[in-house]
Amino acid sequence: MVCGAIGGLGLALVAEATAQPLSWALRGLTPAGVLLLAALLMDLVNGHRDRLLLPLCGLLATLSVVFLTRTDVFLAMRQLIAIVIGVFLMVAIYFLIEDVRSLGRLKYTAGVCGVGLLVVTMLWGEVHHGARLWLAIPHLVTFQSGEVAKILMAIFLAGYVAERGELLRRTGIRRMGMRLPPLQVAAPLLVVVIFCLAIFVAQRDLGAAMLFFGLFVAMFYLATGQASYGLLATVVFGLGLVIAHHYFPHVGVRMSSWLNPWADPQGAGYQPLQALFCLGEGGIFGAGLAHLPVTKLPAAATDLILVVIGADLGLIGSLSIVLIYALIALRSYGLAWQATDRFASLLAAALATVFSLQALVIMGGVLRVIPLTGITTPFLSYGGTSVVVNFVALGLLLAVSRDCVPQPEPTEPDARA
Amino acid sequence: MQELSANIRRLAVLMLWGFLLVCLLFGYWQAVRAPGLRANPHNEQARQRENAIKPGCVYTADGEVVLRAERIADEWRPAYPQGAVYCHLTGYNRDTGLQKAMREVLLGIGAYEDWWRTVRYGPGGLDIALTVNSKAQKLATMLMRGKRGSVVALDPRTGAVLAMVSAPAYDPAVVLENKLSYEMFRNDPNSPELNRALQGLYPPGSIFKVFTAAVGLDIGLVEPETIFECSGATRVSGVLVKCRKPSGHGRLTLSWALADSCNVAFAKLAEQIGPAQFRSYLKKFHLLDQSDVSLPASQGKMADFDAYKGERELAQAAFGQGATMVTPLAMARMTATVANGGELIQPYLVAQVKRRDGQILREYSGRSLGQAISQETAGQVAGMMAQAVEKGTASRMALPGYSVAAKTGSAQVMHGEPHAWMVAFAPRQAPRVVVAVVVENGGAGGTVAGPIARELLNTLLAE
Ligand SMILES: [Zn+2]
Repeated sequence: MVCGAIGGLGLALVAEATAQPLSWALRGLTPAGVLLLAALLMDLVNGHRDRLLLPLCGLLATLSVVFLTRTDVFLAMRQLIAIVIGVFLMVAIYFLIEDVRSLGRLKYTAGVCGVGLLVVTMLWGEVHHGARLWLAIPHLVTFQSGEVAKILMAIFLAGYVAERGELLRRTGIRRMGMRLPPLQVAAPLLVVVIFCLAIFVAQRDLGAAMLFFGLFVAMFYLATGQASYGLLATVVFGLGLVIAHHYFPHVGVRMSSWLNPWADPQGAGYQPLQALFCLGEGGIFGAGLAHLPVTKLPAAATDLILVVIGADLGLIGSLSIVLIYALIALRSYGLAWQATDRFASLLAAALATVFSLQALVIMGGVLRVIPLTGITTPFLSYGGTSVVVNFVALGLLLAVSRDCVPQPEPTEPDARA
Repeated sequence: MQELSANIRRLAVLMLWGFLLVCLLFGYWQAVRAPGLRANPHNEQARQRENAIKPGCVYTADGEVVLRAERIADEWRPAYPQGAVYCHLTGYNRDTGLQKAMREVLLGIGAYEDWWRTVRYGPGGLDIALTVNSKAQKLATMLMRGKRGSVVALDPRTGAVLAMVSAPAYDPAVVLENKLSYEMFRNDPNSPELNRALQGLYPPGSIFKVFTAAVGLDIGLVEPETIFECSGATRVSGVLVKCRKPSGHGRLTLSWALADSCNVAFAKLAEQIGPAQFRSYLKKFHLLDQSDVSLPASQGKMADFDAYKGERELAQAAFGQGATMVTPLAMARMTATVANGGELIQPYLVAQVKRRDGQILREYSGRSLGQAISQETAGQVAGMMAQAVEKGTASRMALPGYSVAAKTGSAQVMHGEPHAWMVAFAPRQAPRVVVAVVVENGGAGGTVAGPIARELLNTLLAE
């Protein structure tokens, strides 16, 4: 209901500001309506599930349509279709998985598929905007394979750690005052570092490399509880990035524009600088919805949708978006914490990590903490694959909350069907 | 399971720290740095917003409008009511002159952004009041018509720029009339675009003797009455330094050496001063430094006295030849230092930033850079310069009713006639006006630059 109201109001304002016919505003109600329908459907069977995640993600999806309408009406239409498909898949997954614990059996299938997808993309993927991210099934569909792979890898890692986690927990050898990881940990970590560097070099995609690396390290940490391994791996990964960047300068044009965008404000530094300028234009209170023309902002609908929001709604809007992401992350980790099953808990934690990292990597890029990458902003930025996959992940989280989180007292209002 | 829960909690806390950091960074860019980002010249989004702002006006000290905004076909365009008179100050578009240097003021953005002002007084830029006197500026422009060179007039007590003219000048409206006129303007061999007062580098010639004399007197090496010997020429590290008078001045005082512009005496004085002291006073006088007048300026140049045959370079620098290159503003500033009792005041061009209703928001003044020479030395040099007017080479500078101090210069150049120089100030006892004039390839300083400096002094003293 909240999404519907915000979406309708937002689109009405955009329609007002961009002088579009008001019918656009009505279409903004579509995601809200679809989500409401989905919620009702899910409640029909079993009313016990998480009540926070769906409205929050729905709010983001609705905002996405609002701000895409303001940026590019055509993209907003396509995004709407993607949302409908995504919600449909979410409901389907929710119903198809009778018990989320059974997914653990598919871990190796998921792992092989995930790695396979990434490797195939590295070798035969299509290059768009300088990054090899797309995989095409001829005459059928083109999709961003990394988005799909991240869910598969989350399932694989959750299953693997749930089953073999004990193996990784052997204490290492102490040498020179440092605890070196034992071979069981060191070898997989090394493989992971190399794999992620391969993503960076072959796909020219720093964002995906960081995302996968972060996910792996987080799962290792959950399994071992040793933060030092993660730190060590991060140092090695960082060094690897520097070396890779040195030997393959073409893979990281965004690197120099990150370190010193002012050196070439009309060339390499153009995108990061214009992003900052847009944020500055927004200031604290925002320039107003659809007030600022963002035609000079490259990739406004995809990489920089956050910047468009920051420009229109100002610091207040930006902080609200961060708050929504933080709430989603907090709730997802909360599910992981509450879950009674080891695999389900790890799956929820993996999905929460993917989600948080993705939001942090793109925000960090916009805010110049790390290089600006082409990673998608979950639920917000334009991209069919991304939206669909995020809704599927949401479906998995909801299934975890249904199956593995103990039912609260029936007196709570949440328990009504 | 329990350990897993603890690990999950720690991971969640780590992520929350990440989100908190992101919040702080959003705050940094959107609140702290926002005004700077909004005003950045590379900001494409700002262009459109700024085009809607009505820019402020530029006035002279006596209220003449020099630059104002005109509404032409839905956009604000600069208009130049005074034609070519202030062209080098205002520039000819938003990327030149004060329109570029004072962009944030004129548009009321960046450091001058104030939303409360916008709420109360509506959107719009701020006005700028210059230190320039419109009468002097117009007179100097007229006197320099048909010549190449520059005129700078300062108030030595405050550092206020009273006039700043570079010739040839151009009328921005004519230049921007069509593509052809603009091309001709950009490719003119006389480079009218150049603001010679700040960017032109000239050998100063004999007016530089004011500096050399000041150094010799200030370190106590000589007195105005110290005797020098001039036989028409002298040899410094194997090179002949010739005097203005081929027959030589014979025995003469330092005072007369300045008044009658004797090169040999000054070459000998510089030898006594030595490169170290010479350089240290160049620093104290800030002679080679850029000026502070908010417009692009060049740095002066000086030979390296430590290099091979450095003594020769030093001897030539003593009377402003050799590799010595200075801007007209630097020479006006040097003269103002002498006129102001040795205290160096950095000249300034922008006096005030005003709101449209006349409320003064910021006021500027010349920054004191300290005592370059003692007050006593300054008085002695001023006396010597007054002697140059009374009976020396600058006799044309004499004004009825005022005691004028001046120094001529005819700087030898590679091609053509020498550059004609004149620096002057008046009245000698309580100087109010300093003038520096250079006419490229004008010939003798006294006869070409002198009358211009004299007219200007006369007008400014009557103000
Ligand atoms: Zn002589």
